[in-house]
Order: sequence, then C-alpha cells, then structure tokens
Amino acid sequence: MKVSLNWLKEYLDLSVSTEELSNTFPLLGLDVESIEYKGLKPLDNIVVGEIISQEKHPDADKLSVCQVQFSNDEPPAQIVCGAKNFVVGDRVPVALPGARLPGDFKIKKSKLRGVPSNGMMCSAKELGLSEENEGLLLLKDKPEIGTSINEVFTDTDTIYNLEITSNRGDCLSHIGIARELAAYYNLKVKTPELSVSTDQSNSATPERLLSNLEIQTTECPHYTAWSIKGVSVKESPDWLKKAIDSIGLRPINNIVDITNFVLMECGQPLHAFDAAKIEGQEIIVRNAIKGEKITTLDEKQRTLSPEMLVIADTKKALVIAGVMGSLDAEVTDKTTDILLESAWFKPGSIRATSRKLNLSTDSSYRFARDVDPKGVEWAAKRAIGLILELAGGEISGPEISIGDINTADANISISPAFIEKKLGFAVNETVIHEIFERLGFTVIQSSENWSVKVPSFRREVTRPIDLVEEFIRIYGTDKIPNKRVQNSAVDRNDDPIATFFSNTANYLIGQNFCECQNYTLRSKDETSQSIGEANESTLALSNPITSDQTHIRSSIIPGLLDNIKYNINNGNNVSRLFETGRIFRPSPDGIIESLAVGIVVLKNSLVKNWLERTDVDYYTVKNIISEVTDIANFNTQSLAFEKCTDKDLLWQSNQSAVAGELALKQIQINVGLLNLKTTKIWGIQSPVFAAELIFDANILRRKTKPLSFKAISHFPASNKDLAIVASKNESAEKVRKSVEKIAKKATGGNFQIEFTRIFDVYEGKGLADDEKSIALSISFRSHDRTLKEKEVNMAFDQIQRSIASDTNYKLRS
Amino acid sequence: MEQALQDILAHADACKGGIESRADLEKFKAEISGPKGSLTQAMKGMGKLPKEERPIIGKKINETKKALDAIFEKIDQFLEEKEIQDSLGEPIDPTLPSPDPEKGSLHPLTQVRRRMTDIFSKIGFTVAEEFEAETEWFCFDALNTPDDHPARDEQDTLFLSKGAIFKNVPKKENERYLLRTHTSTVQIRTMLKTKPPIRIIAPGRCFRRDTVDATHSANFHQFEGLYLDENVTLQDLKSVLDHLIKELFGNDVKTRLRPSFFPFTEPSYELDLNSPSLGKLSNQWIEVMGCGMVDPKVLESVEISSDKWNGFAFGVGIERIAMMLYGIDDIRHFYQNDLRFLKQFA
Repeated sequence: MKVSLNWLKEYLDLSVSTEELSNTFPLLGLDVESIEYKGLKPLDNIVVGEIISQEKHPDADKLSVCQVQFSNDEPPAQIVCGAKNFVVGDRVPVALPGARLPGDFKIKKSKLRGVPSNGMMCSAKELGLSEENEGLLLLKDKPEIGTSINEVFTDTDTIYNLEITSNRGDCLSHIGIARELAAYYNLKVKTPELSVSTDQSNSATPERLLSNLEIQTTECPHYTAWSIKGVSVKESPDWLKKAIDSIGLRPINNIVDITNFVLMECGQPLHAFDAAKIEGQEIIVRNAIKGEKITTLDEKQRTLSPEMLVIADTKKALVIAGVMGSLDAEVTDKTTDILLESAWFKPGSIRATSRKLNLSTDSSYRFARDVDPKGVEWAAKRAIGLILELAGGEISGPEISIGDINTADANISISPAFIEKKLGFAVNETVIHEIFERLGFTVIQSSENWSVKVPSFRREVTRPIDLVEEFIRIYGTDKIPNKRVQNSAVDRNDDPIATFFSNTANYLIGQNFCECQNYTLRSKDETSQSIGEANESTLALSNPITSDQTHIRSSIIPGLLDNIKYNINNGNNVSRLFETGRIFRPSPDGIIESLAVGIVVLKNSLVKNWLERTDVDYYTVKNIISEVTDIANFNTQSLAFEKCTDKDLLWQSNQSAVAGELALKQIQINVGLLNLKTTKIWGIQSPVFAAELIFDANILRRKTKPLSFKAISHFPASNKDLAIVASKNESAEKVRKSVEKIAKKATGGNFQIEFTRIFDVYEGKGLADDEKSIALSISFRSHDRTLKEKEVNMAFDQIQRSIASDTNYKLRS
Repeated sequence: MEQALQDILAHADACKGGIESRADLEKFKAEISGPKGSLTQAMKGMGKLPKEERPIIGKKINETKKALDAIFEKIDQFLEEKEIQDSLGEPIDPTLPSPDPEKGSLHPLTQVRRRMTDIFSKIGFTVAEEFEAETEWFCFDALNTPDDHPARDEQDTLFLSKGAIFKNVPKKENERYLLRTHTSTVQIRTMLKTKPPIRIIAPGRCFRRDTVDATHSANFHQFEGLYLDENVTLQDLKSVLDHLIKELFGNDVKTRLRPSFFPFTEPSYELDLNSPSLGKLSNQWIEVMGCGMVDPKVLESVEISSDKWNGFAFGVGIERIAMMLYGIDDIRHFYQNDLRFLKQFA
C-alpha cells in the first residue's frame, strides 16, 4: 500500500520527520518496504550560496575558480566549477564538504588541477530534481544566503510503500493509516466534511437513472446505487492528478480519478457506470453464467464461472463485482449521466474470484480483506460531493439501497489484570484506558471488568487477547522490560530421532564422510529408477511446480549421486558422502514415512596419489552401515543379509545385499555396489559402493532392557579350528550359524561356546567347481574352571560327527 | 696363563666388530667359551698351577669371563638393533601428505541447527520430531488457519494426490495429505500427545510451492519453538528470543518485536535484528523470524484450556540464520553440495 505523506497530512497534524515515521510504521505493524521521495530529498549541508567572484582556472580552459558566499558568518568558500551558465551575483545550491548528493555521492575537500575546491555548486540533476543536465541550478528568487536547500524546494512528498498484513484491511487507505498514526502520536484524525446530505439527494431531481436494482446472490449483502446527471467528464484538477499520481495511479478523467481518490482515501471501492450504457435501466447483482465472457478494462477477455459475481444489466455483465469493470460501461468523455455503485461484497467470494482469474485490483484487494461496512454510504457521499464540485451535474433522485449488514460496534469484556497476566509486567490502568481511547475504542469502566467497544472499521478485534495485542502495539513493544531467562528444569529428553541423526552424523564424519542435503522433491524418472514404474505414481504430488520436482523422494541415494556428479564435473575430489533425513516408500498398507541414512563411497579415487590404497568393497560399506544401525540400538545380527536381485533396482545383483524389509520389519538395509547401469545414467565412471538404512521411527522408541552386568570368566579359552566344504551358493553366515548351534549342543551346557568365527573362505584347487570351503574357529570357555584338553577334544569330536551326520556339509580333511 | 687370558680378551675385543648375525655370534662364542674354545682351553691349565697362584688366576679368569660377557652383550644389543632396523624398511618422509580420504564435514545447516539447539537446551528446551508428510488438519485447521486462507491454496502448498494413504502418519478425519509448510505441525502433535507444561524446539524440513531462486527453495528448514505453561508471558517470549539472538549474533545486536499477523498466534510479531557487524546487512533492521503468543483457538483445537495455560511460539528459517551468520548470498548453495562450499564449514 503506497501512502503519500502529503496526503496523510490532510487528515493529521503530523510534525514528525520522514525518518522517524519510517521507524514508527514498523512498530505499528506496518512494515516499510520502500520509501520514495518526490521532489527534493532531505539533504544535509546543501545551502543557498552566492557567487561573489569568478576567475579562470590557471591550468584548465573549461574550469573556473569561484568564491562563493554560503553563510553570513563565515568567509566565502573557493569552489572550482565547470559550468558556464552563471554570472557573478547568481545564487545557487552549494554542497559543502560532508554533504551527500542523491546516488550517495559524497562531497569532500579536494583539488582540481592543483586548485583547492571546498564544495560543489549543484545542477538540478545533481540534486535529483531533473533528468537533464543544464548547468548550475540558478535560484532566481534569490533566497537568503545560507538557507537549507530543502527550505527552498518545498514541493516535496514522501511515499511510503507499506506492507499491510492480511488482517488489517482497515489500513488500506490514507484515513486508515492516519488513524494508526493518530493512535500512536495521540492526535486527532480530521475526517473530511461531507457536503452531500441524504436530504439533499432526496430533494433534487426525483428521477433516478435506474428503474430497477436486484440482488440475486447472498454474496452481496449490501448494494447502493446513486444517480448523478449532467456531469462533464474532463481532466482532473492538478491537486487530484498529483494525489493519485503520487501513489502510482494513472490519472484518467475526473470521474474515474475521484472514485480512485475516495478508494485510496477511505478504503471503500466505488464503481462509476456510464448510465447511458446500462441497458434496460436495470442493475442485477448475480452469479456469472458458466462460460460468460467479459472484456475487462485491461482489454483482456475473461471467461467467468458461476461462483463469480457480476454486476449486469438486462443484457450483459458490466462488471466483475468488486474486481474490475468492463469496457462496455466505461465512463468516457461523452458520458453525462453517472450511476455510482458503493457496495459491500463478502471477502471470501471476491478472494476466490480474484484468485481464480489471477486478477488482483485495488478494489478486489480491499474487498477480500473486509472493508468497513459503515464506509459504504460515507464513500458514496464523499465521491458525489467531489463529482458535483469538479464535474458539475446534480443528484438525481434518492439512492437505491438494498440489504444491510450489521455495522454495530463490538463489545469486549476485559480486565486490566488479564492484560498484565498476558504481558508479564505491570502497566498503569489509566495508560491502558487512554491507549484504547486513542485507538478509537470506547471504554466503560463499571467494574474491574471493563467493557470495550470496538468500532466497525476494526472488525477483526473480537476477543480479549486481541485487545491485549492492540494495547501493546500502541504502548510499544520496545517498552517491554528486559528480563533474564528463568526457566525451570526439564524432565524430558530430546526425541530419539534427533539423537540418532546427530550421533550418526558424528560417526560418519569420523569416517571421513561429508554431509549433504538434497531436495526431497525428485523427478518422475528418478523415482521410477529407484522404486519401479509400477510404484512411482504413489509418491507423486498432485500439484508439483516444476517437472523435475514432481515426486517425494523414495531414497537418499539418487540425491547423493547428483552430488557426486556435480562435484566430479567441478573438479572436486569427492569420495565419501552421506545424508540423513526422511524418505517415503509405498507399501500395501499405504506410504511409509521412514527415517533414512544413505552413504556413498567411490570405488576408485578420482585423484592420483603418491601411495596407492586398497580399494573399498562391499565389506567396507557393510561395516559402516552396520555401525550406523547399531547407533539406532538395533543389532544387525538379527537381520539376514541376502544378495540383491534384479528387482532391487538401484543395486547391482550379486554384488549387493538387502537385509530386513521396511513394510514387514520396520527396518531395511540395502548395501553394496550400486547398479552400474544406474551410475552410468548419472555419468559416473567409477563404480559406487553405497548403503542405505531406512526404518520406522518406532524402532527408536522401542523399550530396551535395562543394562545389567554379566560376570567375566577368569579362566583361559580353548580354540579349535575346522574347515567345512559346502555348496558354493550356501551363505557363509548360514554355515557359521549351523556350526555354532551344533557346537553349543556338543558342550552339553557344561561350558560355553564364546564365539564361532569365520577366518577363511576358499574356492578352487582341491574342491569341486560348485563347492567352497569355509574355515571356522570355535572358542570354548568355562566360567568356573580351566577346561581340560580331554573335555574340549570330546566336544570337538562330537561337533565334527554331528556336522557329518546332521548337515549337508562335509568336513575338509 | 695370565698372558693367555689377556690375549683371549684382546682377540675377542678385536673381532667383535666383524660379527653381523646371530650365527656369527654363536660361532664366536663357541670359539671362546665352547668345549674347544680358547678360554676353555686356557682354564684347563689351572690344574697345573701352583696352589697359591690359583686364587689369583681364578679371580683373573672370572674377570675375563665378565669382560667377555659384556662384549657378547654388546654384540647382542648391536644385533637386536640391526634386526629392528632391518624390519623397518625405508625411513618416512614426514612432509608427505596422507593418501587417506580427507576429513569429513558437517553440513552448514546441521551446524547451525546444532548451535541453535544447544542454545535452547541450556534453557531447558528439548527437541521434538514429527512427520514431514502431514495432513491439512495438523498443518492448517488446528492452527486456526481457515479453509479459504491463502496459505492453504494449491498455489502455495504441495499436496499429495487425492487418494494418497499413509501407513504411519495418522490423520484427524478424512483430510488430505500434504507436505508440511511449517514446523508448527510439531506443536499440534506434541500438544495432543503430551500434557503441559511443554517446552520444545522442533527443527525440521518444510515445503512451499516456491520456484527455486537465490532466496527461495521448494524445501527449507525451520526451527520451531513452543513454550506452554501456566504463566508464560509476552515478556518471556522477548527474553527467550533476545537470548537466542544474542547467543547467535553477539551482545551488540539490537532486536525489536514488530507487530505482524499469523493465524496461530495473538499477538503476533516479526522479530527484527539490527547488528553493527553483519557484513552487508549491518546497521539495518532485518526480519529474522515470526513469533507470538499461542492463539487460544490453537489450544482449543488440541483441547488444552486457554484459561489455565499460556504459551509462546516461534519459527525461524535455519537457512536464513546460516545465510546471515556466514554471509551466504544464495540459498541454492545449501542443496548443491559443492565440496568447495561444504568444506568451508568443516
């Protein structure tokens, strides 16, 4: 909302500087987006000076050296000047050292071709008063020497571009803003006197320009139409043109300018029809017909739909109600009779129409924010007064007014104690009372509960808490006393999700990973690559904004591949990246929002190094992701790692593994080599090892057993090794588990199997093509004695016998 | 005899330098003290000596033996040192860089989030977490944002498809799923689960239907706070937020509460700051965050009595704070993950 300071002063005896105002507005909740100065900006150290002598510069033909009297008390200043359009005795604006010209040009003492120059004589352009550079600005009226230049050029204005929050429709006018400043500075708003009285409009010519007015919708509770005959449409007078031009509106003709002026004065939109163009002398406020077309004043044809309101005559829609008129009923130079509309439309209806048509106007913007229902009549009379004054004509018959809305003031009951309780500090009751009065509220103090009457222009103030807000707004948030934070202790821990992500990041950084953050919104192609074309649509947004951000992410990995690619392309030595966050996976019971940790490691280093290191492999990433799973307090040993197949799209079959399943077990790990076809799509040459842990947050919230100490054996362990021949397809873990089970049984519970550990895996010479050998070490130990060679051997023999008899494995001799 | 002992010792001393291995040492020892060794031979002459000379010569023999043992010990030490050296290989060049991966780094957004979390945990706020996919009720209705509020428009909020179902994100009724536009949803879910007093912060990812440019991002991170207790006041809001701003930006920063409007707080404010040492942003009021006292209607929607409980809430963009703290001029840097950017914060 653009506000002209000069215009504001019509309603307010305001004597504060423009700078102070720019600090006051934000404190009132009216943020200043920008300030624009019309005419001369406030300038310091620029005064009227008289040129008392002029000599040629000894070293430059085009320059002259002048003595300039700029004060009655100080000696003249020597100023070197390049202009030619002056004579001795002329008075000009002189910028003294320390002045700043528009464009932030700072004036300093200097030397020009060896001659000292202590200031600058200014042109109109240099002062920001003109676009043309026409030499020095000669002050023909000979103002007093030493006068500030701002006192010479007083035809100025300051335009504040204010940001009005959506609840403050009442501030979308100059009177509205004046009311705010009046409350803050304790001033009175001078509302313009109305020159048109209801009696007058009744008495003049009895004939109205309209034979019928009809409202066929509930979205327009109040509509008034006023008839004025015999106006002469012409250019507006200067003051009016200047006023509407100052806030960025284009003067059109006196009638249109007046409706705009009144809109910007009081916030009530008006519409002037050329009465001759209303067919059938009838106005009907109705819903648009589906597909109905109208060409609005911006010369665009618009197609309407039934939820939109139009103001129509018997034949056609003339106005999109509250939004914009059409070319059909426009007031032109030829117009003589005017029908003036002043109405109140429901904010929701106008908001919806404006949004659907993508057409926001000064009118729709205000109706959408709830204009003061009491303003309907006032605005019409104010405009008619101006029309009669500036365009002539006469009121023709009484206005037609249909409907009414409740314009009664609201009553709110509140106690000063309530206000204090919400604020946290004490305020004098009389101060509260006074501030409410300054806001235009009426306070009745009959008991400790006050009754506060709020006028119709502040219809959003309905509750005691709203009055608290109003009070502190005018009292000033800068007056809230400082206080030390004094919080009591807490009995609540951080959510385990936050703790998990934090610990995970710490661990991975210790493993030389760099943390990344990628967009949650991904493309359709990428989603298909990661969860398959059949599932992709489940994760689609209904209203994406760009074609590459259409789906919510199903995996952390693709984002990290983007990062690898980006860094390779930029010549960065990227090797290990990770990201934590949330991903989404389809399941038969609906989408699961899951926590996720993704890591990627390039197999080959991108840079040559003086010392070669062993490459990373599956087991590198398996170890890292297992540690991360451990941070979630989840033991990976309880999950079976199985080789990925072709259905694990992102992952290279036989070179990567999957453990768990998100939908069934609430947790899933994918780990190993990324599908080489996938990394090729990203243009990454090096194979990429990766891992992703995804799990439901419930995993972190499971109750865990309290820790308790288990005694440690003081006796030595006894280790035995054996080698088993199994089918090549058999997983090592399965072999180990069955050996461990047999071993536990073999000891008969007389002593313990501390561990069964794989220490060698062999294929090749001495074995069949479809066989492999797995060597295991079994550790025996007792809690209460040193084991005897004999009992260990007996158990070991039993293990070997059981393997031979109870499993498909052979013992390797 | 004495001469013989002196000769043996002199010989041993002379030869010790030539011994290069354990085998040499064993051979050398045998030549002296072995069964046929020179010392053994010399000692055999003891019997032939007159009785009175024996103690003297015996003493000499012992001295010789000791001296020889010392020589052997020295050789042994020499050999051990030699073996260690042989096992070590070439000496290092201490100036060469490690070929191992360079150090890891925490993303600047994580760092700023942690810094803010730490500031709040010192004054008794704990972290709460909720879903990124949310429903209209939790994101809008419960937060007193009516149906026709512009924020609910499809132009500003990203919705999941009409039929989308989530297995683990509970709905209120039959409202639509969307991507949360603010972390205020965490307030609602927390107040439904936990009885007041409540003092939480909720850093998390949010989404707006914004076209990406230098200051807009379709996803961004917010840092939400909620303090609900019997006597929480506007003054508490100011003191806690001033504390945050001073901890982040230093003691010479000024703040102001600029009246504003949000459906879920009343009164509502934007907190602005003005700092003398913020690079290009110095000495001007800069909008930092929205805040206010929890609107009674929000408490009603989660069935908490607004007569008994008062609260304040705030929400601040983590990207915004990071950009201000580090002078970052483009929000896209955070999501490009250029190592030259990330490593600046390592």
